Amino acid sequence: MMQEMISGMINTLMGTIMSNQIHVPVLEPLIKLLAQLPVGGFMVSLLFWKAFFAALICPGFATVGILLLFFPWIERKLCGRIQWRVGPNEIVWWLGGIIQLLADTIRFMFQEVIVHRDAHRPYYLQFPFLTFIPTLLPLLFIPAGSIVAIRTPYAIQIILALVCLFPLFILGLGWASNSRFAFIGTVREAFMYFAYEIAFIVAILAMIILYGTSDLVAINNTGTWGILLNPVAAFVFFVGAAMATSRLPFEIAEADQELAAGPHVEYSGIGFGLIYVLCYEKAYVLAGLMTVLFLGGGSGPALPGLGELSGLIWFLVKTLIVMTTLFVLRVIYPRYRLDQALSIGWSSLLSLALVAVVISLGVFMIGGGAI
Amino acid sequence: MAVEDEKNRNVHILRTGVLSPLKRWGVKWSLWPCHFVTSCCGVELAHAFASGFDGERLGTLNMGISRQANFIIVEGTITRKMARALRVVWEQMPDPKFVEVIGACGERGGIFWNSYNLTRPSDIVPVDFFVPGCPVTPEALLRGVRAVQHKIEGRDRTTIKFKKTKLPSEPGKTCKVPTSPKVLAPTPLVKVDVGRDVDWSSGTELVKDLESRLAGLYRRITITDVNRIAIKTTPEHLVELAQKLRTEFGFDHVKSVNVIDVPHERKFIVEYMVSGYKKELMPVILNVFAELAREAKPEIASLASLWMSADYSEREMHDFFGVRFAGNAGMNYKFILAPEVNTPLRKDFKLEDESYVLEDNVPYAPEIKPPLPAELELPLPEGLIEDAESKEEFVVLVGPHHTGSGHLRWILRIKGDVIMEVIPDPGYVHRTMEKLAENRLYIQNIPLFERANISDPISMQLGYVRTIEKALGIEVPERARYIRTMMTELSRIGAFFYDSGIFSLFLGHSTGFMYVWAIREMILEAMVRATGSRCTPTFIIPGGVRRDIPKEVIDMVDNFTSAIHKRLKKFEDIFIYNPVFIARTKGVGVLSRADAIRCGIVGPFLRASGVEYDIRKVEPYDAYADLDWEVTTGDAGDCLGRYMGRYEEIKESLKIVKQTVDALRRIPRGEVISEELLGDYREASEDIKGHMFDVYGNLVLPKGEWTTVTESGRGTLLYSIVSDGDSNVPYRVRIVTPCWMNLRGIVEASKGERVADFWAIYGSFGYFPPEADR
Amino acid sequence: MKKVTVKDQSVTEKALRHARAVGVSMKESVYPLTATVYYPRERKKMPANLRGYLLFEPEKCISCWQCAFICPANAIRMKEAPNKRYYPTVDYGKCIFCHFCIDSCSGGALYSTKIHDVAYRDMDEMLTLTEEMIEQPEVLREDKKSVEYIIDKDDLHLKRRREQDTLFVEPTPPVEIPMVSQCVDRASCIGCRVCEEVCEHDAISSKQEGNILRMRIDTEKCTGCGLCVKECTMQILRLVRK
Repeated sequence: MMQEMISGMINTLMGTIMSNQIHVPVLEPLIKLLAQLPVGGFMVSLLFWKAFFAALICPGFATVGILLLFFPWIERKLCGRIQWRVGPNEIVWWLGGIIQLLADTIRFMFQEVIVHRDAHRPYYLQFPFLTFIPTLLPLLFIPAGSIVAIRTPYAIQIILALVCLFPLFILGLGWASNSRFAFIGTVREAFMYFAYEIAFIVAILAMIILYGTSDLVAINNTGTWGILLNPVAAFVFFVGAAMATSRLPFEIAEADQELAAGPHVEYSGIGFGLIYVLCYEKAYVLAGLMTVLFLGGGSGPALPGLGELSGLIWFLVKTLIVMTTLFVLRVIYPRYRLDQALSIGWSSLLSLALVAVVISLGVFMIGGGAI
Repeated sequence: MAVEDEKNRNVHILRTGVLSPLKRWGVKWSLWPCHFVTSCCGVELAHAFASGFDGERLGTLNMGISRQANFIIVEGTITRKMARALRVVWEQMPDPKFVEVIGACGERGGIFWNSYNLTRPSDIVPVDFFVPGCPVTPEALLRGVRAVQHKIEGRDRTTIKFKKTKLPSEPGKTCKVPTSPKVLAPTPLVKVDVGRDVDWSSGTELVKDLESRLAGLYRRITITDVNRIAIKTTPEHLVELAQKLRTEFGFDHVKSVNVIDVPHERKFIVEYMVSGYKKELMPVILNVFAELAREAKPEIASLASLWMSADYSEREMHDFFGVRFAGNAGMNYKFILAPEVNTPLRKDFKLEDESYVLEDNVPYAPEIKPPLPAELELPLPEGLIEDAESKEEFVVLVGPHHTGSGHLRWILRIKGDVIMEVIPDPGYVHRTMEKLAENRLYIQNIPLFERANISDPISMQLGYVRTIEKALGIEVPERARYIRTMMTELSRIGAFFYDSGIFSLFLGHSTGFMYVWAIREMILEAMVRATGSRCTPTFIIPGGVRRDIPKEVIDMVDNFTSAIHKRLKKFEDIFIYNPVFIARTKGVGVLSRADAIRCGIVGPFLRASGVEYDIRKVEPYDAYADLDWEVTTGDAGDCLGRYMGRYEEIKESLKIVKQTVDALRRIPRGEVISEELLGDYREASEDIKGHMFDVYGNLVLPKGEWTTVTESGRGTLLYSIVSDGDSNVPYRVRIVTPCWMNLRGIVEASKGERVADFWAIYGSFGYFPPEADR
Repeated sequence: MKKVTVKDQSVTEKALRHARAVGVSMKESVYPLTATVYYPRERKKMPANLRGYLLFEPEKCISCWQCAFICPANAIRMKEAPNKRYYPTVDYGKCIFCHFCIDSCSGGALYSTKIHDVAYRDMDEMLTLTEEMIEQPEVLREDKKSVEYIIDKDDLHLKRRREQDTLFVEPTPPVEIPMVSQCVDRASCIGCRVCEEVCEHDAISSKQEGNILRMRIDTEKCTGCGLCVKECTMQILRLVRK
């Protein structure tokens, strides 16, 4: 009886796993070979189970890890190049310093963590870790090609809800730090939060109108480049993302020269290491969302033999490009003042977002319904 | 814990544990310097981390925040005030941490070795490596970084090995230990108004006018030189006289406040150098002075309420001499000195004398007691916090160690996002040049004053050397005049790029910084080829320049004037005309013409408010009178106006450089040092090599006070040398640097602006703290 | 007079300027005007007149102390050598590399090298004794290439060469100026014979004539080094043109 139940459950589970496998023609012989092994078969099919793959490998956990290790290097090299320098290159000379961030990470790990006397100790220690919750969770809903961990018609809403939590944790960091610069930085962060949030949401709303759904997989499957249909919404989204991730010209809360990194000023060692990579993660989430909403997600010429991984690769490439653009902004622009950023957010950006809604409605009318 | 133990602790942390190789590897490639820009070496630090050398290649990412850095690069002089900051920053940094000291000042003091305000970083924090140089080259700095990396790996060693050679041992002729070359008059005759017969017709009229309208208020009015008048008065009549000068004659600003201590006559001489921005008064400098009895508590009425430009200088003099200026608000706390230093510029405050013999029992350098850990806190002006709290204001201390403070402390009182008041707390780079100059030969002061501002070194030397030349009445040979003009203008361009780079960093635009720093690298390359040093050329000497510059360098400078445009164009596109930059600076920190004159700002910043005052036109020196160029002014008086005014000015400078290059090609090589001054050594007129001490070692200036003004990169630079006519060291040297005068401008312009604007205003004024603090 | 006014940017101009700023960054990311010297790996070629570490030739030194006297930082101090003469030592913890010493050394005994990048482990090592200044020191070098900055009419270029740049340069001798020592006030001479003792070239001789000691300066032998002038007890010697 018991045995039957268990085997039934395993069968259902296997059924779910097997029905939702990633199809990669190139790897097929290898998978077949491994499937003959008793445990290997299960492991391989688990690995290639879309939900598992999406959550733990791509676009989820492993990709985030690799990205955090190498993206700052890409950013530093590219910014260095634009600034007539070279960026980190001595560490492994023949690879151009590609493992720079590995060294930084190791250094952070073994650096002393200082909790200063005035800090609110529990929160001060918790917040750098807690911040990872809203930044990692949205990845479950973002499809890379056809690979997604959780498919739901409310994907955009859930992601938005989580994205809107980012600043709260930054506020927490600043508050727990209990330093004057952190305080000013925190207040600025709170102001900035209101500056971009509404326009940002309205721009996404415009896209929901355009697509007629908020299911990201469905949007991805249409393969339309939203940026061509509604460039205004794309622009508002991009500026909003720059504000949300605190990129120049809107790096106001962390203003290095004014507030010495604002809310992060007191963190040291691994605490700072976590905060340092936080903005890359945020940027990754928002760039992924932008890719799906505006750049056609995983659509692109199919790469021979890769099957569904083809979409995933296109998704990653596009996301990386968006992220790079987002980060290269820091070498193009100086920083806006807080009131200027607020007025941009509340007047220009919001009105542009409304224009985007109008455009979407127009496209909706002309096209005779959603895409 | 002793400093030595602390040093070993860091290495111990890296050496223990199973993961120690990994740990060492990570730390080695991830030394994030907390840039402790304390002094001039900071300029070369910036070069090392800018596009020219790019220290980031080694994994050393410059990080201004002490909690996140693990490596301090101490750049130069650590003054008593800054020593506290150094210790605090070091304490704030997480273990394991490393310290590299660059520049001679941070080691045994360099040129400031006997200064009263100096400490040694090695007494305060454990230092891993010392890099000599003044300033160090970027290569040397990076060599230090490499040395620390090697140390982490386990190869802790000095990077130079000397080979010992046996010295000749058979005794030759006897050799005596001579006495010091300094000649000091035992009772020097100090007279600041030595009259001279000069050809200055309008001056005699002005003196007559002054005599008739100031009757009863003065003791004596003397013409001391062309455009220089000295008015002797009494402390009682000073205020009334000043009032009249201001309202009736239009002398609207003070160029310098000076006190001269004459202990053997039991008096202080208090001087105000007054001038006006009315067209006909521009070149005139009145020296209004009064003699004050040298009592226990000397006191004189303050003129700060009449001339705001005198305010900070009066506070400075109060610090230096203990003379109270009654009525000045800053008399109850030390403005630029550390709490433990008292009246250092009085003549009875003696400095250590040079020793010329190296003997086993003589220490290398004087003993210095660093401030104790208990004294680490620097006091705020009394009652500030309480006052701010009662008005619901928030006090933020920016600096002295802060990414955007430079090396001084700004006390910001803010309400919401609006600045109510900015209180400067300077003196963190006060290297006591005025005192040191009283203890050195005239020639030795040239490298000393140059170090006030190594981003604009030639102007600093030129001002001092011109004062000596004026006193000695020397004509400079034509070729030398053009070389000087060319180098001064190059230096001015360099100074602008320096400020521009810092300004763009303050606004968060690192590319603007990198681009101009790459252009600066070209200027420094021309500088090093001409003089042998990148930032501290020490090239201009009384009577001319040290040596002729080769033809290749002149060609290179010529090429530079055209090559710069390619990079400048890109810089314009990405920074100057960037809409965000314009939005940040336009209409911010406005100083109207009247305000600008009132708070005494100088140079291009004054011209941006609409005052057409450029010393190069008003009192032309060197080759400026023969060249074709224009003064740049503006009306806006805001941050953008100040910046763009200077930008246009360097375009004029490029024009001047181009003309001097043409002239230098025309003028045949030959005399570059005045043969009149060289006398018997006239063969050395092409190159002073070998005869510098013979010619300049015993230079004595005629009796009196000699004042010159020079247009340096950031504005009016005033040198005033008092000589007793017998000693070969100056009796008193007063330097008023443009940045010191501009400090008030920053304070006034920031009132009522938003918090973030403070950095825009600060950056637009091109404030260079070492220059201001001297 | 040039008046600078900056107009407000119109919306179109703003858009154009944004585009140009982005354009510059895109162009630079593809074809940058990199100006970086990869320092530990390659070394920038410095000109021969670079003011670097000092070297010393004791044969040319006449122990005139001028280098010590003119040093603004008091980094040069004289140390007694086994032959009872005084030779300079340099404290690099104070040296500011102004090279006033080289410019004051009339014999050309001090000369410069192009060494400028040294890191010391502790401060005591920074004192360089005379015997260490005679031979060329050994510097830790990691560079294989040399880079030269070349500025032409168009731009700054970096010229790389596969060779190690030498750090040592041939010293150039200073201009010789014919000076001789002369007594300006013979009556004040007290006959202490210090001048005779210090003269390197035996140019000063003395002759006893009854009670009077007559000093004589041989203008042919005198090189005008000025040692006797400095040492003269009564300060009655002067340097004059030959």
